[in-house]
This record gives sequence, structure tokens and C-alpha cells, in this order.
Amino acid sequence: MKKLQVSMLACVLSVTAVLAGCGSSKEAAGTNTQSGGSTAPQGQTASAGKPVEIDFWYALGGKNGEYIEKMVKDFNASHKDIVVKPAYQGSYYENHSKVLASVSAGNQPDVTMVEVGSIGAFADAKVLEDLGPYANGAEKKYIPGLLGNSYWKDKLYAIPFNRSTPLLYLNRDMLKAAGLDPNGPKTWEELRQFSQAMTKKEGDKTATYGFSTPIDIWFYEALVFQSGGKILTDDNKELAINTEAGKAPLEFWTGMLKEGVMKAPPGEKYNAWDVAKQDFLNQQVGMIFTSTGDLRSLKENAKFDLGTAFLPANKNFGAPTGGANLVMLAKSSDEEKKASWEFMQWMTDTKQTIPFSLESGYMPVTTEAVESEDMKKAYEKEPNFQVAVKQLEYASPRPMVPGYKELQEVIMTEIQRAVLGQASVDEAIQKATEKGQKLLKK
Amino acid sequence: MLQVGRTAWKTVEWVLLAAVGLVFVFPFLWMFLTAFKTMPEVYQFPPTWWPESWQFENFRIAWSSGPFVTYVMNSILVAGGILILQFLIAVPAAYAFARYRFPGRNLLFGLSLIALMIPSQVIFLPVYVEMSHWGLVNTLWSLILPFGASAFGIFLLRQAFMQVPDEVIEAARLDSASEWKIMWTIMVPMAKPVLVTFGLFSFIYHWNDYFWPLIMTNSDSVRTLPIGISMLKAAEGGKQWNVIMAGNMILVLPILVVFFFAQRHIISAFVYQSK
Repeated sequence: MKKLQVSMLACVLSVTAVLAGCGSSKEAAGTNTQSGGSTAPQGQTASAGKPVEIDFWYALGGKNGEYIEKMVKDFNASHKDIVVKPAYQGSYYENHSKVLASVSAGNQPDVTMVEVGSIGAFADAKVLEDLGPYANGAEKKYIPGLLGNSYWKDKLYAIPFNRSTPLLYLNRDMLKAAGLDPNGPKTWEELRQFSQAMTKKEGDKTATYGFSTPIDIWFYEALVFQSGGKILTDDNKELAINTEAGKAPLEFWTGMLKEGVMKAPPGEKYNAWDVAKQDFLNQQVGMIFTSTGDLRSLKENAKFDLGTAFLPANKNFGAPTGGANLVMLAKSSDEEKKASWEFMQWMTDTKQTIPFSLESGYMPVTTEAVESEDMKKAYEKEPNFQVAVKQLEYASPRPMVPGYKELQEVIMTEIQRAVLGQASVDEAIQKATEKGQKLLKK
Repeated sequence: MLQVGRTAWKTVEWVLLAAVGLVFVFPFLWMFLTAFKTMPEVYQFPPTWWPESWQFENFRIAWSSGPFVTYVMNSILVAGGILILQFLIAVPAAYAFARYRFPGRNLLFGLSLIALMIPSQVIFLPVYVEMSHWGLVNTLWSLILPFGASAFGIFLLRQAFMQVPDEVIEAARLDSASEWKIMWTIMVPMAKPVLVTFGLFSFIYHWNDYFWPLIMTNSDSVRTLPIGISMLKAAEGGKQWNVIMAGNMILVLPILVVFFFAQRHIISAFVYQSK
């Protein structure tokens, strides 16, 4: 049954999951029980004198990936009894498919990164090891706002690693030129007023917009939280967006779009993010929503005074978090698990998370790190880096029921229809709820 | 009058061809130009056409971001190995399907056509498990073997072999040439344009393939160029488009070179097919 679940999940997560694929993978799962059984004892019989080898799969490219490789090297140099073999496995979702395929085949890694919204799906497929017995309270050192996506059904399955949160980015020069508070808007109403003041028209064309945001699930989640709402009910069984709080974000966005003071950047998924960032850098847009992870590169490329602020509040401040957590795989041997825990602890410890945060723009994950001298010095030099950590006080976990990956696509399609004017807000939310409900029932 | 009409028609044809050509060339041109720009220039609006100063540095950064020599060698071994294997399997198979009558021929041919319709993502899990049983995961073999038999190649070659006139084969048989010899010294050279076209399709597909090598490999020593290029891309945060495009130039260049030499054959393959 467990095998079956894993392969089913692998099918669902794989790029083109179609019925035929799931049919054939059931067969595959049935035939490989032997290999699963034979690999486990092999690991256990490793002699005590030899260092334990563990595999670590990560999902960050570019400079952050290079930095992770460097961290692993440092770990290996300082731990004679453990050898960690790191391997880049593509994007979060490519890594997910790969991990699940490898679990079916019995050559899975020992530690890997899992996108925060997918922890529930992995835990439910019984792929992950319960970290409770290893942690024994050690999890208290992490920032509480970052632990929301670590628990599934009251068990600790994941440790925060590379974590981000959305922020409001400001072009302070433009704010000042329009006679506005350079610290940015604090509420939705102010965001609207600021946007009106910053929007400039040249004839029929809009030369600069006050505000722009990709119409992405992450920001929709944020705005629902800010309106005091939720995406799912507390028992994770129903969609909870057919409410005032679920509709408020769309009414807010469509209202500003109609007024012509907000731009919805064109493009599918991350292309829209790139357009928003490009418009912001070219000063065609005064304020955007984007990830903390963008701070470093936007700062480097901006020719103006760049600031960050909390996402403005509707009823209250609110934001989801994002990025990935570290997890341990249930199939590893006891010896490998012990080494894996050691490695996960080390990677996320204060001493490592400070330079990782400063290098990458992700948030530091331990409370101690935030309060450390090094971090304080860095924040003094670049106060923008601190905004994200402060906002964590108001952060909520991302929904993480199994199937949220598909569910979020459904919600996103419908809210985009509303934003494009192809459906009214009520219609879009109604449709998203109907379609989403079917996914949750599965 | 007729002359004028013809010239006008020719002009329209050229304009249309040029427009379509532009649609295809533009992304490559943009990639080429972006690869030489600085990051602020990439983001600049309105965009510039020619880079303000040519940044060859981007190529150095891309090339030194990983073991690119290994990636290139692996890509050549994999794409080349697949090509050789496909050739060795597709030629006899196509010859048999085209020139022999044997029981179950249509059924077998139908089965190979079905293989043509299944995308690799659908069967990745069972094939992964199979390769894992054979202990081939994380080796170059796992990148080559699953693609050894190409349904597309068999189909294309069969069509080409069927068009070889019977008289040619009769004559060869009269001169007591063996079937083996007929296949390799008569059929293959006569189907050269089709072989080149197929070879090119196969080479480009496997040279560019990202999903399969990513699934099958865990270490840099057996990874191919597209994975190296994708590692230039950060998951979140700023992407250095200029470096990514420089990496893509490195990826695309060999294909452009191969295409340049094979172009003549491709045209004749399609003319030949449509006769």
C-alpha cells in the first residue's frame, strides 16, 4: 500500500501525469518489493569504522546551489565519520518527482529539500521520517513563524532551510517625488492611494503605474490572510475561499486594475514575476510584490533608492512563507538516519544559517541567528533584510494538504480569469471552489 | 501581364518567407545578443539591440560554473551512442518491414507505431525502476539504452526503403548479393537524405533532453550539458539572464554546426518524401 501511494504520488507530480502512466507504475511498484527489502539491511551492516555515506539532494541552481555545495564540503571536512554526497536535482518539483521515483526503486537519498507546500503530500505517502524522536525539543531553536510547514498531523517532519516570504518593494525616489511617505503604504487603502498618486499618464498611455504584482497563488494567499481568512478549513477538508476574505483580494485587485493604477504583468507563472521585476527596475512601476529572495539582485541592479516594507494590511498584516525545508527519508537505515539528523542540524544551525542568509537573501532560520551580532550588523547596514524576518510575526503556513499543488493551479486559473475580466469575482471564486472541492475529495 | 503577375507573386512569396524566417531566427538572435550584455542592460527598457560593450565574461562565468568539459563529453557520448544504436536497430527493422512479408508483420509494425505515441514522461517510473534493477542508474548506459530502438526512425526509414525500386534489388539479387549486403550497400546509401534527417532529429532531441538525464543521474560525472545549463538558473531570486543565455549559446552551437552541414540533405529528404 505504501509503495502504491508513493508511485501514485510520483505520477501525480510528474510532468505529464496521465492515467496510462499511473496504470503502468502500479505494476512497477508491485515488482520492486524485492529491491526495497534488500537495500535496507545492506546499509545496516556497514562497519563501524567506516564513515557513513549519506546522499543529499538539493534543488537550488545558480549561486545559491554553489553555496550549498560549499556548505556540504565544510560539513564533510569537520565530520570525519560522515560523508555527505550532494547532488543537484533540478527545480523543487523536478526533485519531488525524482525523490518519489527513487523511493519506488529503492535508491532514494537520505536527506532532501521539499517545497513547503508539499510536505503534507510527502508525509502522507509515508516517505518521510518522523523527526520528533531525533529532535527531542531541539526544534525550539527555529523561528516559530517558519515551523508552520514542518508539522503534518502533529508530527515533526521537516526542518526549515531556505525560506522566503513576500515583501512590498518600494521605489523610494518615486514615492518622494509624489510627496508620499518613503516607508510605503501600511494598509490596502493606502496602497490604493499611493498607487493613484504615483500613476502617470501620457495622453492615453500610462507611462508609470503605481503598483504591480504577478497574479500568483502566493500573493493571493497573502491577501486572504490579511483579510483574516484562510485558504482551507482547519480540518483541511474544504476550500474556505468562498467568503468575504476569499473575495476581498480579487475585488481589491480588479478595482485597482479598473482604475488603471495597477498593472497585472503579462506572462505565464514565473514569466509574470520577471516582467514585474523588470518594470520595477526600469521605474515603470513604483511598487511591486515579490519574494525576499529577490532583494539581493534587485538591490544590485536598481538605479534608485530601493526599500522594502511589510505587505500592507487589510484587517491585519499577513503573509505566507515559501521556499523549502529539509526532510529525512523513512527508508534509510538507522545509521544513515543518525548521520542525516546530524547533517540537517548542522546545515540549519545558527553558525551556518547566518552566512547562508547573507549570501542568498533567504531568511535565517534560528531565533539565535536573528539576535546575533553578525546579523544585527548586517541589518544595520541593510535594514531591508530585516523586514522579512520582522514580518514573520504575522506569517501563516502555506496550506499543505496532499494535492495542494494541483489545487493551487485551479485557484490560480480562476483568479486570473477574474483579473482579466473574463469572469466576475463571485463567478471565479464559485468556480474555483467547485473545481477545488473535487480535488480535495480525491 | 503574366510576367508582372509572376513577379508580384514571387515578391509576396519572399516577403512571407522572410516573415516566417524572422519569427524563427529572432529568439536565437535575442539569445545571442543577451549573452553579451551586462545585467542592467538586460533589464533596460526600452531594450537595446546591440550590447553597449560585448561581455565575453558571461561565457567564462557560465563555463566555469561547473565541470563543463565533462558535460560536453557526456552529451557527445550520449547523443552519439543513441544515434549509433538507433541506426543499428532501425535499419534492419525498417528493411524487414519494408521488404519482407512474414506473419505478424503488420501487428509488429503497429506496435512500433504505438511506441511512437507514448511520451517519455509517462513511462519514466517503470523505466527508472528497470534501470535501477539492472544497477544502471547514474551511468551513461541509463541515458542511452532506453532510446536504442526508435519507432520514429523505423517508420521513417521504412517509408524510404519502400520507395527504392524493386528492379534495383532484383538486380542485386541476380548478382548474388547477400541480403545483408543489399541492406547496407544499396538501401542505406539510397536512403541517405532520410537517414541524415532522422539522425539530426534524434541528435537534437537527445542533445537537448533535460528530463531524462536529470531523472537518471545523480552525479556530475555522468551528467549532460542541459543539466549544467539549468544549474545556472536560481530557483528563486534574481536570474542572471546574460549568463544563462551564454550557457544556452554553448548548448546550441554544436547543433547549429551540425545543422549547417546537414541542411542540403534535409531539404532533399523532404522533397524525396513528397514525391
